[in-house]
Amino acid sequence: MSEFIVEMEHIDKAFPGVQALDDVSFSLRPGEVMALLGENGAGKSTLMKVLGGVYQRDSGTIRVFNNEVGDLTPNMAQELGIAMIHQELNMCTQLSVAENIFLGREITKNGVLSNREMRKHSREVLDRLKINIDPETIVGDISVSKQQMVEIAKALSANARILIMDEPTSALTAKEIDDLFDIIRLLKSEGCGIVYISHRLEELQHIVDRITIMRDGKFIYSMDYADTTMDTIIENMVGREIKEKFPHVECRRGKKIFEVRNLNAGRMARDINFELYDGEIVGLAGLMGAGRTEITRAIFGVDPSESGDIIVDGKKIQIFKAEDAIRSGIVLAPEDRKRDGLCTKLSVRENIALPNLDLLCNLLGIVNRRREREMVKRMVENFSVKLTGPEMIAGNLSGGNQQKVVVGKWLARDSRVVMFDEPTRGIDVAAKVEIYHLMNKLKQDGIGVLFVSSEMPEVLGMADRIIVVCDGRITGELPRCEATQTRILEYAMKFESKSERLAV
Amino acid sequence: MKANANPIRRLLAIRGMGQVLTVSLGLVVLCLVFSYINPLFLSSRNLHNLSRQIVPILLVGVSQSYVLITGNIDLSIGSVLGMSCMISATFMTKGVNPWLSVIVTLICCLIIGFLNGFLVARCKLPPFIATLGTMTIARGIAQIANNNYNTDSIGEAAATFREIFYYTRFFGLYSPVWIAFIVWLFFNFILSRTRTGRHIYAVGSNIEASRLSGVNVNRTVIFAYLVSAFCAGIVGLMTTATNGMGAMDAGNMYEMYAVAASVIGGVSTLGGQGILLGTVIGAAIWSVLQNGLQFASAPVAIRNIVIGAIVIISVLLDIIIRSGRWHFRQRKPS
Repeated sequence: MSEFIVEMEHIDKAFPGVQALDDVSFSLRPGEVMALLGENGAGKSTLMKVLGGVYQRDSGTIRVFNNEVGDLTPNMAQELGIAMIHQELNMCTQLSVAENIFLGREITKNGVLSNREMRKHSREVLDRLKINIDPETIVGDISVSKQQMVEIAKALSANARILIMDEPTSALTAKEIDDLFDIIRLLKSEGCGIVYISHRLEELQHIVDRITIMRDGKFIYSMDYADTTMDTIIENMVGREIKEKFPHVECRRGKKIFEVRNLNAGRMARDINFELYDGEIVGLAGLMGAGRTEITRAIFGVDPSESGDIIVDGKKIQIFKAEDAIRSGIVLAPEDRKRDGLCTKLSVRENIALPNLDLLCNLLGIVNRRREREMVKRMVENFSVKLTGPEMIAGNLSGGNQQKVVVGKWLARDSRVVMFDEPTRGIDVAAKVEIYHLMNKLKQDGIGVLFVSSEMPEVLGMADRIIVVCDGRITGELPRCEATQTRILEYAMKFESKSERLAV
Repeated sequence: MKANANPIRRLLAIRGMGQVLTVSLGLVVLCLVFSYINPLFLSSRNLHNLSRQIVPILLVGVSQSYVLITGNIDLSIGSVLGMSCMISATFMTKGVNPWLSVIVTLICCLIIGFLNGFLVARCKLPPFIATLGTMTIARGIAQIANNNYNTDSIGEAAATFREIFYYTRFFGLYSPVWIAFIVWLFFNFILSRTRTGRHIYAVGSNIEASRLSGVNVNRTVIFAYLVSAFCAGIVGLMTTATNGMGAMDAGNMYEMYAVAASVIGGVSTLGGQGILLGTVIGAAIWSVLQNGLQFASAPVAIRNIVIGAIVIISVLLDIIIRSGRWHFRQRKPS
């Protein structure tokens, strides 16, 4: 007999092009809360999805309650007593609380649903967790935090003994987090094992017994929370050596090009203030979901903003939609190239021409073919895009070349500010360096460059100034000479302390 | 906590009932307007007529509602109806026992329904495309059944069949009304009171959550398409009985009328929402409009325009209500 209820050993899992899990081991005792920590993409969620049966492992062994289990499916995992509360809530919003709790496990009598009984059981579970919700309420009508509680109730009503929570507090308020912690303590005392994934390190002290740290799909170490310090945790989460080369170019900082004043756009962009100067690259760093993308989208006018001024070359401009931003010389190379950046089924020529048709068309709206060809030729040569010809379908280009087209289409017009959202995601090292060169070139040409990146080394290597965002607010700004991974991460996890009762 | 003290509150607690009551009010207003324009609208003869006009729309409405609630659509309903009409009539003119013909016909319909469900659920075809294909196929079968001709009269042998599917009255109502009522009652029970019904709502509401909760998503979708084809088949049989022959173009455009009846009755085209009682009201509004505009001597063209506009307005309202609620929820401080 082992003291663990879950033991995962030497788990490997590869997705096309990425080794998501590389020889990872993990264990969980009954009645303990295990924090699973790591940067974005470290493989935390993947590991737990293997345990929850959402993904199948490539190799390695999994033992649950001392029994070796083979390939898990969500159903099998449920039967074993494993319940997973996913980061994105998975609820049928049009069904009631009780209906969601019993979804897939409905109680029937002679083929007829026993609604009364299910409501009764739901109420019992909710009462046990001290959650004050009527089981007949429609899930879509209750707040996200309550929905989270319902997910937990659903897990418990299925008699889960192993509960996986992926970022459970990201949508909760202080009071609700305290409630959640009470529930976690209750479950702990009942002998449930809980895996807790969170970026909010300041929360850990309230509930966590042990921690496991992962980095780049690898297991780094596991230890009792009491024996460790916040500094060692952060060091171990970050501690990778920088392999890629970053061709940084020193430039003299010139005049102010661009300014954002008190921009507010929903929850994920609150009171944003920053400037861009001639001859510098500014990196926008932060954790996933910190609001970086939302900020760029609000500036570009694709998401509505409630308030704020945007000033280009000293002139205040009004942006209501992307068209306004483009006219004023602000452009955005979005995060998801294939979805937001390119019309993948159109040719490179058509893609480059698309945002510039106002320049290429005459008064009747007829495209001037000659000018179009020239524009495309100029862009392809300037950025050395490798292709068989301008008629090549954009979707067939390599990731790096696609990114060049995304940028190229904007630079065919006189842009003043270029915002890149994760410009090097999913492209190989050589292509990355080319994109860096391109950014340097823009900087030398006096164009303001703002880039969002989740890769710390990239931010440190390329940016002249780094703005750190957390939870929709700017929490810090670091000049190049002062920036370190640890300091960025510190700022990136500077959440507004939400736990009132046990303030840090 | 006991909500069953007040019967009205209990009624309103049933999901989707609020919308159904609103639409019912619209129906009452329509009836009042039409009876004001032409008092004969409320004559017993016209009411009988009306009750028979509602039947096919109601049944195809049940078809479409089932599929819409799973978040899909069935464009093949009208063609399956036509196919049912032609296959049954062809058999009967060839002297096959009418009841055997009925069974074989319904099996043929269920095969198309299964094909729909299989293509959409298992093969992941967009439902619009999959059922567009089967729509054309089913219409082709309807045409091929009697070598591209409408059939002759189904004759004396099928007299009982015609009686039961068209002529007879029980307790003052024509038999198709009773058949529709029983079919509706049965499928309403399945949808509201059984596990399969619950899964139909769940799949339409959030397919991924349903899968992760252990719902057999494929089986649920296939079941909805089977129900759809079955009801369409029943209407096809009624059409045969009504006309006493098979018509190749029977049921033309009925899939769209079915969408209209469902949507007016509060079934959401986005899935997960709606009840079959709403479909009844939707079908009634549709038929009352057709019938009443006729009584008000409105030309056919005007009738079409009015009904088309009603469909658009009801869906528009649905979207506004939904998005309005959504915004409300977003702004609510958490």
